[in-house]
Amino acid sequence: MPQGNARFVHGKILHNAGTGAFYRMEVAVPDRIDFVPGQFAMVSGWPGNDPLLPRPLAIFRTGGARGKGTVEFVYKVVGRGTALLSGLHAGAPLSLTLPLGHGFEFPAEDRFWWLVGGGVGFSSVFPAAAVLDAQRSDFEIFLGARTRDQLPPGDWIPGANAPGRVHLCTDDGTAGFFGTVASALRDRIDRRKPSGTARVSILACGPHAMLKSVADLALPLGFRVQVSLESSMACGFGVCWGCVTAIRDGGNSGYRRVCREGPVFDARRVVW
Amino acid sequence: MTQTMPPDLTARIGSVLLKNPVMSASGTFGYGLEFTPFYDISRLGAVIVKGLSLLPTPGNAPVRIVETPAGMLNAIGLQNIGVERFINEVAPRLDDAGATYVANIYGRTVEEYEAVARRLAEVPALAAIELNASCPNVKEGGIAFGSSPGGLSGLTRRVRAATEKPLWVKLSPNVSDIGAMARAAEEAGADAVTLINTIIGMAVDSRTRRPILSNVTGGLSGPAVKPVALRMVWEACKAVRIPVIGIGGIQCARDALEFLLVGAAAVQVGTANFRNPNACVEIIDGIRDFFVREKIFRLDDYRGTLRTQG
Repeated sequence: MPQGNARFVHGKILHNAGTGAFYRMEVAVPDRIDFVPGQFAMVSGWPGNDPLLPRPLAIFRTGGARGKGTVEFVYKVVGRGTALLSGLHAGAPLSLTLPLGHGFEFPAEDRFWWLVGGGVGFSSVFPAAAVLDAQRSDFEIFLGARTRDQLPPGDWIPGANAPGRVHLCTDDGTAGFFGTVASALRDRIDRRKPSGTARVSILACGPHAMLKSVADLALPLGFRVQVSLESSMACGFGVCWGCVTAIRDGGNSGYRRVCREGPVFDARRVVW
Repeated sequence: MTQTMPPDLTARIGSVLLKNPVMSASGTFGYGLEFTPFYDISRLGAVIVKGLSLLPTPGNAPVRIVETPAGMLNAIGLQNIGVERFINEVAPRLDDAGATYVANIYGRTVEEYEAVARRLAEVPALAAIELNASCPNVKEGGIAFGSSPGGLSGLTRRVRAATEKPLWVKLSPNVSDIGAMARAAEEAGADAVTLINTIIGMAVDSRTRRPILSNVTGGLSGPAVKPVALRMVWEACKAVRIPVIGIGGIQCARDALEFLLVGAAAVQVGTANFRNPNACVEIIDGIRDFFVREKIFRLDDYRGTLRTQG
């Protein structure tokens, strides 16, 4: 059961500050949180009933020990909830339900991995780097943004110093590859030598259109593609049934909960 | 009676005795088992499971929910696993968890309601059946029966005859006279009425000129509906002798106490479960603490004691 260790906790903000386009927030929680990359938390901390619902944030990093844990999030201000969150200072109380959802899977037989993040989507794929390092798998990172300012700071990018490992892409060409992440992936695929020998396993999180183009490109090549989907959710732990998306199951398809059966799905099963 | 004795929170809904007056509302608590990572669900007065139909139901296409000021709209469309899977897979696990539980049911036709109710006779521990005569998001989700006293009365009578379980009827607020609806249910043999279900609402996008929800309209819940719910529960309590179960926007113990004060025999907590999985048990503890502080020894000493004169 992926959510067997889910819990509702009260935390306290240690640090919450903007860096470029993103906020990074560290929270003290009562216990160490073990999580699978791709899992998320439902977070709220503003007073009153409006907005009513907590916000889903990917878990970026956790630390600490038994009896004294920390959890870190990276988020972007997109609406009222995240705007209120960004205004909270160190010491402010937060409510968190975590860790939630079905995260990425890391089959040991897959040796080449590409981590693909669009917009703030990097926050759910970067944690995969530590797992891949531990299982001695090679990985490269592809980051897409509208413009240079929307890319994460270099020191947030795992293994950024390794040559050729990180591929930046911007829609306006202000940094890195001039074009979308999907076109950068196509370019990378074309440059593979010898072409098409080893299968690559892709972990992707970002806007729906980006995920679809990554799936359209990589699935026909036989790559394994796992995508982390976004959806409006009320509860985050499988009881409101508000966040569903159509997922193929054998010959049929049905509505599955992004918060519970997802947010990470095998891209072959997603009804795009 | 000494002050050290814990207050008696027992609530009585007809023949059903609940250890406390706090239940989870149908559609906000899954099948109950989803909450076992958070707390022992046997602590609840009762778990009301998500609405069950005769066959599994896929539900509405996304988008299904949207946040609104101090509330939310939903149009889930009663996605559920069907009564057979409930009986075979869920009920035994609720039994193992020691939970008191109630099945909320709905049908596309009166015959389907009857069939679901009959099937549930096989679940000995099932405390009651709650008839959903009020889902606003499915044409056949009961609202066809639940929007006029005549329709409600006919449906209640038929399901009443199909089951020996205690029968609770969940009422829609989208009517002009809630008292008349409660009376119709009472006269048709209901053991209790539950209200309110969600209030029909709508959200649109001014730029794309499209509705937000695929179903166009949805049901409003959360703190935004509480004053409406409180008024309707108060009116229903005056209209019928059977117990009234209050629901609508309850977020904390004080909200729950307000419903008990206007006469509700018990309450259900819905949307609050989404923002805080521990909401129900925090509310139980809060009610107990309030009774201790106010030196109230039994729920019945507080319930329905609203002072409207003097």
